[in-house]
Amino acid sequence: MNAAVPPSLAAEAVSVTFDGLRAISGVSLTLEKGEILGLIGPNGAGKTTLVNCLSGFQLPTEGRVRLGGQDTVRWDAAAFRKAGVARTFQGGRLFRDMSVLDNVEVTGVALGLSRRAAQRKASELLDWMGIAQFAHQLAGTLPYTDERRVGIARALLMKPDFLLLDEPAAGMSDHECEQLTALIRIIRLEQGCGILLIEHNMAVVLGLCDRVHVLDGGRTLAQGRAAEVRNDRAVIDAYLGAEG
Amino acid sequence: MTEMTIRVVLVVGLYVFIGNSGILSFGHVSFMSIGAYAFVWISCCTLPALKPLYLPGLPIVLQETALPSPAGIAAAAALAGGSALVIGSILMRLSGTAASIATFSLLAGQYALFRNWTGVTGGTSSLANVPVFMNSAIGTLLAIGAVLIAWLHHQSRYGLMLRAARDEQTASKASGVNVWLVRTIAFGLSGLIMGVGGAMQAGFLGIVTVDAFYLDVTFLTLAMLIVGGSGSLSGAVVGVIALTAVTEMLRRFEVGIHLGDALLALPRGFQEVGLGIVMILVMIFRPAGIMNGRELTVGHFRLKR
Ligand SMILES: Nc1ncnc2c1ncn2[C@@H]1O[C@H](COP(=O)(O)OP(=O)(O)OP(=O)(O)O)[C@@H](O)[C@H]1O
Ligand SMILES: [Mg+2]
Repeated sequence: MNAAVPPSLAAEAVSVTFDGLRAISGVSLTLEKGEILGLIGPNGAGKTTLVNCLSGFQLPTEGRVRLGGQDTVRWDAAAFRKAGVARTFQGGRLFRDMSVLDNVEVTGVALGLSRRAAQRKASELLDWMGIAQFAHQLAGTLPYTDERRVGIARALLMKPDFLLLDEPAAGMSDHECEQLTALIRIIRLEQGCGILLIEHNMAVVLGLCDRVHVLDGGRTLAQGRAAEVRNDRAVIDAYLGAEG
Repeated sequence: MTEMTIRVVLVVGLYVFIGNSGILSFGHVSFMSIGAYAFVWISCCTLPALKPLYLPGLPIVLQETALPSPAGIAAAAALAGGSALVIGSILMRLSGTAASIATFSLLAGQYALFRNWTGVTGGTSSLANVPVFMNSAIGTLLAIGAVLIAWLHHQSRYGLMLRAARDEQTASKASGVNVWLVRTIAFGLSGLIMGVGGAMQAGFLGIVTVDAFYLDVTFLTLAMLIVGGSGSLSGAVVGVIALTAVTEMLRRFEVGIHLGDALLALPRGFQEVGLGIVMILVMIFRPAGIMNGRELTVGHFRLKR
């Protein structure tokens, strides 16, 4: 990749069809390094499907995904991760029967480190995120707020260029949301990665995101700076309005 | 005792794949069979003149060789490990349940092949005169070796990635794990260990038959792994000890015990029924096996971190 031009992760006119059902239609979106882009929309709007496309879990039926100008058609999920695109999952999906430290360490060894080196990096990261006290606990026994943090740590090891977060704040209290917001802000500041944030909580979205992309029924409804999108008539009607 | 060391090797071999990958395999006894015959091909017979009569289909070089047992064991490991690697690389393209079913076809296919490949395996007739090298010391040594290899694999990066794929296949891919690769490696390694177990069996009984490597051993070894707990290496070993004790006891009851003047004997076949009952009870009261995924700990030295 060209070092002079910061790479970007882009969906270009991506459509996905599941047995005739169109989950997303012609969606284009670009995530730059160093920015936080919000991806919002009602349930079933196609947000997770789009993230799946951007991380190699779903091959677009039409359109394509580019990373720093490279076409990614033949890439599987592991290839995306090796190229610097990391993600979390809506349901957490930790390795339940493994320790928290091992959960994070997996990313290191999968990307080529020795166990010893991966373990050291994982410990440092858990320290940095303030969850070192859980290192030797089984991941399956964590409360969900800490589970989310471990999921983020797992994605964050080895400094990915892009981090895709699928509803990291779902079910959290206001206080917990604030802590998460602070964490994401620090991640952007200190790691410099581009972050795509799927989130229903508008306070979190408006507090964090530079730009927002709105999906509805699989189509792009609006996109632009957070403050503009917030006042967009169509968005208010379709989405924000529905929430009150 | 010697017989138990063979079972430890077999069940530890199963553990390497099944325990770490979470995919049940019904086909691993195939590699035990391949190992036993590889041992015969290299090290048979105690009366060398018999070999061409037994196995006229073997290449002439092999018909004339009767190398010492260590060479036979090495051949068993190499041939079983090699075939497991190749077969695994194909089967591991399938997902968990489909892969399990495919391993069953592997067992049936390998059994049918060896049963009918008369010139090379002797077909349905048993091959006697296989050199007997096993005693409890050699058995123990080999069993310790198998446990050590399994432990090293467990601790290695490949073991770690494999367990990640077991717990959450989707998330493991997102962490960059090549699921097919780590499963194939474990399949090959566990096949290799099973092959050594097959050679041990051959060199213990001095006789080899295709029927000795089919459903009975498959069921017994899987039962041992599951009863002990497939979640840990200690579970594999504990399962062997526990079920060996149970079957030994049932066998005594089948022969009959004297109570005063009366001879009390269980009906024949009760050994198998009893084994099934024990397994069901363990599954009901301890679904993750006796060890429940934990490792035995000795002071500060723990097998599993
Ligand atoms: N694997 C699949 N097979 C069939 N249909 C699917 C599949 N995945 C998603 N869909 C459908 O595609 C549409 C978009 O789903 P998606 O999960 O992307 O929505 P979402 O915006 O993430 O919703 P939520 O806010 O509930 O997470 C839905 O109608 C869903 O039912
Ligand atoms: Mg979703």
